[in-house]
Amino acid sequence: MQVTEPISAPWQASLVLGFARRGDATILVRRDHRGPLRVQKALYPEGPEVCHAIVLHPPAGIAGGDQLDIRIEADAAAHALLTTPGAGKWYRSGGAQSSQQVHLKVGAGATVEWLPQESIVFSGAQATMRTTIELEQGARFTGVETICFGRRASGETLDRGRLKLATDIRADGWLLWRERGVIDGGSALMDSPIGLAGFSVCSTVLAAGREIEPETLRACRAVTAIEPGARCGVSVLPQLFVGRYLGHSAEAAREWFVALWQCLRPTIVGRDAIAPRIWNT
Amino acid sequence: MSIALAKLLQLASPALPVGAYTYSQGLEWAVEAGTVKDEAGALRWIGDQLEWNLGRYEAPLLMRLMEAWKVGAHDTAIELDAEYLATRESAELRAETLQMGYSMKRLLHELGDFPQPLLDAIAVPPAPTFAYVWTCAAAAWQIPLQDALTAWLWSWAENQTMAALKAVPLGQAAGQRILQEIGRRIPAVVDRALALAEQEYSNFAPGFAIACCNHETQYTRLFRS
Repeated sequence: MQVTEPISAPWQASLVLGFARRGDATILVRRDHRGPLRVQKALYPEGPEVCHAIVLHPPAGIAGGDQLDIRIEADAAAHALLTTPGAGKWYRSGGAQSSQQVHLKVGAGATVEWLPQESIVFSGAQATMRTTIELEQGARFTGVETICFGRRASGETLDRGRLKLATDIRADGWLLWRERGVIDGGSALMDSPIGLAGFSVCSTVLAAGREIEPETLRACRAVTAIEPGARCGVSVLPQLFVGRYLGHSAEAAREWFVALWQCLRPTIVGRDAIAPRIWNT
Repeated sequence: MSIALAKLLQLASPALPVGAYTYSQGLEWAVEAGTVKDEAGALRWIGDQLEWNLGRYEAPLLMRLMEAWKVGAHDTAIELDAEYLATRESAELRAETLQMGYSMKRLLHELGDFPQPLLDAIAVPPAPTFAYVWTCAAAAWQIPLQDALTAWLWSWAENQTMAALKAVPLGQAAGQRILQEIGRRIPAVVDRALALAEQEYSNFAPGFAIACCNHETQYTRLFRS
């Protein structure tokens, strides 16, 4: 018998977080979980206004059939920053589909920064990542999604399996951004110059809810990849900043993101960007 | 020859005054970056765009737009217009479809015999996409779905090829070889687009997106995207 995944029943895990503004502070007012998805405590490394939370998934990886559902609501004027303690892993599946649904609802004048660490998609995974962001009047969102196609460190490419991506951002009900991806392991899209162009790491940065000023765009354009041969580009759409990265190093992609975030965060949320400490551990 | 065929040729013609020839959709930067440097490279870029981007997102969306216009479901068409716009992933790609949509809208007004209720419907979005206005015309002129998609993809490919001819540069015969090959591939792309389930839609093309972004600051350029 060939063991293709951990022999256990698939997880159906969900996490609902609610953030609310109380005076000068953002408070974690709701924290419901089912299955192995958790937030241990609210952290305040940059003062009471911004509540940081680390979303834990103790099994450390997503196996075939697992379904993760994360719902985050920030009430009016609240400010939450969410990240993860390490890379997410999508294991090889025996055939069952795995999915992660992230739904962010950002109330009037509120801010959510969704900054998970990279997702490593193992060859043979059957993964769906769906991210839906709803912004109310004056709400702001910054997000990064970094995907590693296969475990390059082990010499593995994504030669089998399938990854599906779906991202929507709506502002006041108006569709600001939509992207759909169906990436079959080993398909020609992985080597295509219009696709992954032979790179194994792809990162997308989206920042929504404010018009980006020309000087901010100029500063973002000046951010280059520290990894030789990597490619990146940025553009500005109404109420939206888009950044793209193709390379081989998730660490280099993160440095690129942090450099962009340092340009963007002061103008979008009026605060300096300081990378969460958990990224350095 | 049917009137619908004549109308189809008019829609697909480079003489359609919407300025398509001023856009390269990132191809000019791909040439600058050395990604596209010869006939084979141009065919790869254009063919991959057809296969992985237009064929799996734009073409199925156009099909739904055509169907909405055909049954008079204008609200659905407006939603699809917004969806199309939300998938334009760089400032230049967005500006391109809006400028061409504006020009196409003006043209339909100037034709003199385009049905007034449709002109009213086109006027609903303040800045319609080219896809929205073009499919309105194709549906009003009773062009069969398959033919309309074929014409859209063909005129796109023709335009990309002309951009490659100027930017690489390539000779006329090379351009015709590229078009011959793309023309061979279009029927299968259209058939798949007509049958593609929405969960299978894909416009994930980061290499293309980066080319479009970097074109914004390309120093010497002939094209607006």
